[in-house]
Amino acid sequence: MEWYALLIQQVINGLALGSVYSLIALGYTMVYGIIKLINFAHGEIYMLGAYFGFYAITVWKLHLAPALIISMALASLLGIVLERIAYKPLRNAPRIAALITAIGASLFLQSAAQFTFGANFKPFPQVIPFKRIALGPAYITNRQLIMFGVALILMVVLHIIVQYTRVGRAMRAVSLDKEAAMLMGINVDRIISFTFALGSSLAAAGGILVGMYYNRIDPYMGMMPGLKGFTAAVLGGIGVIPGAVIGGLIMGTAENLVVAFGSSTFRDAVAFAILILVLLLKPGGLLGKSENEKV
Amino acid sequence: MSKTKVKAKWYLGALAILLISSMTLSVWAASPIKIGLVTPLTGPVSTYGISVRDAVVMGVEEINARGGINGRPLELLIYDDKGDATEAANITRRLIDRDQVALIIGPVITPCVLAAAPIAQEARMPLITPTGTGDTITAIGDMIFRAAYKDSFQGETMAIFARENLKLEEVSILYDVANDYSTGLMNSFRRKFQDLGGKITSVESYATNDNDFSAQLTSILMRNPEALFLPDYYSAVGPIMMQSRQLGLEVPLLGVDGWDSAELADLAGGYEEGGYFVNHYSTDDQTASTQAFISNFEALYGTKPDALGALGYDAILIAEAALKAADSTDPEAIKDALGTAANIAAATGTINMDPEGTPVKSVVILQIQEGKHVLVDKVDP
Repeated sequence: MEWYALLIQQVINGLALGSVYSLIALGYTMVYGIIKLINFAHGEIYMLGAYFGFYAITVWKLHLAPALIISMALASLLGIVLERIAYKPLRNAPRIAALITAIGASLFLQSAAQFTFGANFKPFPQVIPFKRIALGPAYITNRQLIMFGVALILMVVLHIIVQYTRVGRAMRAVSLDKEAAMLMGINVDRIISFTFALGSSLAAAGGILVGMYYNRIDPYMGMMPGLKGFTAAVLGGIGVIPGAVIGGLIMGTAENLVVAFGSSTFRDAVAFAILILVLLLKPGGLLGKSENEKV
Repeated sequence: MSKTKVKAKWYLGALAILLISSMTLSVWAASPIKIGLVTPLTGPVSTYGISVRDAVVMGVEEINARGGINGRPLELLIYDDKGDATEAANITRRLIDRDQVALIIGPVITPCVLAAAPIAQEARMPLITPTGTGDTITAIGDMIFRAAYKDSFQGETMAIFARENLKLEEVSILYDVANDYSTGLMNSFRRKFQDLGGKITSVESYATNDNDFSAQLTSILMRNPEALFLPDYYSAVGPIMMQSRQLGLEVPLLGVDGWDSAELADLAGGYEEGGYFVNHYSTDDQTASTQAFISNFEALYGTKPDALGALGYDAILIAEAALKAADSTDPEAIKDALGTAANIAAATGTINMDPEGTPVKSVVILQIQEGKHVLVDKVDP
């Protein structure tokens, strides 16, 4: 294999991983856009999504697509419940209280998952027979194609929901100005629940895709991707939906390239190094509008 | 799995009843000797810990059935270290300070042993790791012993096998840079393979708990090696095997005792087939003490024991011999007896301790054929 083939191959691998980071980052960014909360339990929703998919496939003997839909539905429900129990009572409390609650919720879900599913690594069932497709000098696997495809479809659906539906318009209104939206007759509580549901379902989809891709799930799998998803959201400009997608793809690719051409010990460091660099040059993130704090 | 757990619980319950009755009815003439077991029952290396636990529990039952240690029964205290070095260190402290055991068996994986052993050494507490293979373990002090071989021996054995039996010229290595076990094996294999005139085409690494190996494997693929050496635990090796085949790396895989787990096949998705690995014993070995252990274990738990189980059993047999010889719970006497333990007919062969505290015994090379571990070669030290 020539060096340019290696480069192309690493970019393909990186984009596959990055599309999952994008899915996670979208949840962070939407929730932040609406209630200015960094939902640190988001990585755990991603982990639970992978487990829901695992049980849908092994216990109910479902194929990947129905398992994906069921897991996304369960994760949305979980997202709504999480918001109602943990975040809603603190909506008017100082932001730091909600942030700490989010970290608490994350640890709670992690331990609950460990208690319920066991701390062992579980092999993810191989529902998709494996294929390798030549792509010029490099290869792409059918699983990577599924990752790209599912992520792309979900992002298009999300775009349509946010830009062209009534509920999407309401979401944008709430994110712009919560009080004014309320005065216009928008049920803010319902919109917040809807946002959590939407973000959680995307995270769950990411969890299943990663489970399928790496063939291994465990209760701690959400920690690092959760952090990376958050970083991707900030990198792209938190609160900006296309920014989350771009941030995720950049992070995935950078990680793969640094492992391939640098050292694997920098794998996690590179993500945060990029973040620091971008924030120094453009504090609002790549696509973020750096606006002054409202008084 | 749950069956064995229930059995262990039942056993612990029975032990508790025995203990109480020993106070009131004097079933035993003397007070029990407490032994601590530190082993990962949950987490990424749980199959190792469960195997060790099951075998040690069986060993203690057998020892007590044949009259204990000079009339005193053994009492086993089991703790789960989750394969985490900090947990292992905390448990070791607890066993020494609160439980005041006479001897500690465990921990199971090298990073945990390296965290626990200095604590035991400082407190003058004899410790036998059944399975810790890291070279530096027994160098920590005179109180530290093991029932397994050393990694340098294991890595060199695989290098010799790869070079002389498989006639390989060019091999790549992928290892965990954050794990002493994996790093030690990488070094000993690389050194020996190069000494024998072989070429290491590339050495790639990852960190513990990474699950994406595609970048490293793609780089390895570019160098066209004839084989890939994977010195790590099953929870990492399984996904690596699957990802390597999916990226088109169709070369033989070489490994170490960390591969020995029933879960490897699930995690590797069948791609482990044909791989060679070094191990402590083979169920095909016809030595009488080995076959006796296998049939007793199978009768009790319903599955064939893996090498981790065999080493756990060996550790408790070494402990029995030493406690009998010392005939007291004085740590210095137990230490001296452990250091001179010899001619123990154990599960992995006949055990004789070397001056460092590592048993001198043969190793085997197994190949995974249709899901079974088939004996290919046996190497004497």
